[in-house]
Amino acid sequence: MSGASRLRTLHWSRSPQCMHLVKSMNKRKTDYKFLLPAVFVVAIMTQVPFLLTIIFSTLRWNLSRPDLARQFNGLQNYLYFLKIEDWRHLPEFYGILWQTVFITGSTLLLCSALGFALALLLDNDVIGINIARTLMLGPFFVMSTASGVIWKTTIFNTTFGWYGVLSKLFGFQPVDLVSYHPLGVIIVLFVWQWMPFFILVLLAGLQGIPQDLIDSMQIDGVNWIQGVVRIKLPLIMNHMRIAIMLGLVFLIKEFGLILVTTAGGPGTRSYTLPYAVYMQVFSANNVGRAGALAVITVALTLLLVNLLYRSIVKRSEMYS
Amino acid sequence: MENRTIEQVVRRARIRHFTKKLLLSLLIYGIAIFYFFPILYMFLSGFKTEQQAVLPKIFFTPTLETFKKVLSDPTMYQYLRNSLFQVIIGTTVSLVLGVPASFVLVFGTLKKPESNNKYFLWFITTILLPPVAVLIPLFTWYQKFNLINTPYGLLMAYVGFHTPIVVWMVHSFFSDLPAEIFDAAEIDGCTRLQQLTRIALPIVRTGIISAALLVAVFIWNEFFLGFNLTGNPTATLPVYMSRFREQQGMFVAQLSASSTIAVLPAIVLGWMTQKALVKGLTLGAVKG
Repeated sequence: MSGASRLRTLHWSRSPQCMHLVKSMNKRKTDYKFLLPAVFVVAIMTQVPFLLTIIFSTLRWNLSRPDLARQFNGLQNYLYFLKIEDWRHLPEFYGILWQTVFITGSTLLLCSALGFALALLLDNDVIGINIARTLMLGPFFVMSTASGVIWKTTIFNTTFGWYGVLSKLFGFQPVDLVSYHPLGVIIVLFVWQWMPFFILVLLAGLQGIPQDLIDSMQIDGVNWIQGVVRIKLPLIMNHMRIAIMLGLVFLIKEFGLILVTTAGGPGTRSYTLPYAVYMQVFSANNVGRAGALAVITVALTLLLVNLLYRSIVKRSEMYS
Repeated sequence: MENRTIEQVVRRARIRHFTKKLLLSLLIYGIAIFYFFPILYMFLSGFKTEQQAVLPKIFFTPTLETFKKVLSDPTMYQYLRNSLFQVIIGTTVSLVLGVPASFVLVFGTLKKPESNNKYFLWFITTILLPPVAVLIPLFTWYQKFNLINTPYGLLMAYVGFHTPIVVWMVHSFFSDLPAEIFDAAEIDGCTRLQQLTRIALPIVRTGIISAALLVAVFIWNEFFLGFNLTGNPTATLPVYMSRFREQQGMFVAQLSASSTIAVLPAIVLGWMTQKALVKGLTLGAVKG
């Protein structure tokens, strides 16, 4: 095709008549053969099992009691966890729910606050800043079971770990943090692993602030704190919300780190909902109750994500 | 004041600026090294003997003994092989399923114009689904069909969970392309498949590579499904790492060497994706 005719074709291809033609052509030919294999596999491996879980959650089904027939028992499994008989002694479930929300909430809060501070610091242009940024990103890619055992043996251990040795050096008596402050240990490790992601997203936001805005800020004599709190923070608020939402999705399902550090203990003090589901299946062998807990976990995730998503959409509408 | 020349003033200001920068850099390096320290110390301890590793020390004479010992252990090889199998096959299959689907969701025609968006949202909701929600039925199926002792059971679960992530990340890269080039290609008689392989893929190559690397890191690090849906012959590296949880403070060198092998590939791959990570993970809502 010559250059001129190609140009004509390109020109014609954008004309309304052509668009109409393309659309009517497309009406006959759809592209489902590209889409359906993925939809099929994902549905079989995620949606179908989830629907089955919902069905299981309404059954009385205990793997260690094969003599009892599987039978429908309505919402009994849910009531087992949710029913409050005495308001002074809440059932164990509420403790687990609170721990899940507490661990996730504190981690996200610390990640946003410290992540913002560190992103401001890493936004400076010094020699070798990329090396520093790369080092800070490292922990995000460490598998949670490895980071759990590494921290537990080389840092938190009261005799051999850095914590134990350093506190003896300064004359403190080291305590077994993993047993005494299980939630604190889990939160510290989660923050260590997830803050790099927050820094990365917030740094992208800070670097997206136009330079002339920063210049005019300096000319107007805005001091550092005002500049950060009143101008930079509002400008990257959407980055913050997106980081929080993604962090929430991944943190709420975390399981490996809890298993290797505290194993849910002492007692059920550091159980989270996914860990409780695991224990119901493999320790109590109660498929029905585990199903009910799994459904509650999904409901909680969807509820929290939905709340956050709505606030993001509302804010974006406000700005645009 | 009067006997100060302009040069002196300028020099002073320069020195002040320089010291400020220097202090700032030292603070940044200090924090970065402190933050990275647990990983760094793990790398170092892998080169110690068990006796050297008992007490925390940074300076020592390095040895390859421990690495040799860990790598000569046949079970370690088995875990490594299983992990590599899951990562390579799992990532490839997820890409083969996810990339065309994502392309069609951006540029393709479905029954109704709004269907594209609906399918895309459906993929996103499956990302929100925590793996505990599917554990029980998968576990009972796998027991029944003896999939626990073959790697294919876990592989199917990984493909199911990571295809939506591919769709999600690649979607934002495809969305940057102008629709006109595909309209033009269609008029020139290019089929949908050719549009994808000849036009779209070469342009978004880097985006797809980083999505692939990130999915590889996710599969390499995945623990929950790997732990519950495998037996001894099929378990992956994260499961192997979790077995160290009961050995309180014992075998620090061995633990460090094994975790270095488990952690290093993911960190290196992750660092390679750095640039595209922000954009891919935030749905293109945030430019990297």
